[in-house]
Amino acid sequence: MPLSVNPETIETTETEPELDQVWKVIVLNDPVNLMNYVVMVFRKVFGYGEQKAIKHMKEVHELGKSILWTGEREQAESYVFQLQKWRLQAVLEKDD
Amino acid sequence: MIDFQIQVDPRILQAILPELEKTFGKASRTSGVSFACPNPLDEDFVEAWESGLKEEFLNDRKVLARLLRNPKFKHGYVEVQDDEVEELLRSLTELRITLREDSLKELTDEDLEKGEVELEKKKSSVRIGYFAYIVMAEIQEKLIAECS
Repeated sequence: MPLSVNPETIETTETEPELDQVWKVIVLNDPVNLMNYVVMVFRKVFGYGEQKAIKHMKEVHELGKSILWTGEREQAESYVFQLQKWRLQAVLEKDD
Repeated sequence: MIDFQIQVDPRILQAILPELEKTFGKASRTSGVSFACPNPLDEDFVEAWESGLKEEFLNDRKVLARLLRNPKFKHGYVEVQDDEVEELLRSLTELRITLREDSLKELTDEDLEKGEVELEKKKSSVRIGYFAYIVMAEIQEKLIAECS
């Protein structure tokens, strides 16, 4: 059976400016940074409470990455910059 | 002012000081930004991103340089101004990353994360690099404890 595609959907997706999309701030695992260092950075950068910061640190450590924040591009870039300033491996990805 | 003494054998401290100086110099010289810019196709954006990070890294290193040049440090004493703790923490991380990429490159990530390194089987440069890596981590632990 041929796939049916709605042209309106395609047009909306292709023309949507990147700035209007939702972005994910992701921190990747690394073997160097101490666990309590990572928790401290998450608290400082995002203002998270200790338990939330620990949860994300454990995700990074056990799963290899954690989504720390989602939202608009400009703020996401600012968070990635701050995390990299603390020498954490942080990247930005579109939220599907 | 935050000050404390790290618990480390003075002979180990004497052995790692040249390694720390060497690694600090290497980190400062290379100063390449190895972090991913979120918009790599925009040259102006990449330039602004990298120059921003380099400036931050430079400021951080100034605080670490003061620590390493403090005569008390070779006796295990760490002194840092309250408003420079974050810079010191970040530059210590950079030093540990550089040690990991240089002196400790033959070790696996798993070895480092678990701290299961069979030092007696390693050459002297790896042993010294590993001790430096551990001592810098101890300083970070104490600084974080002092802050929290």
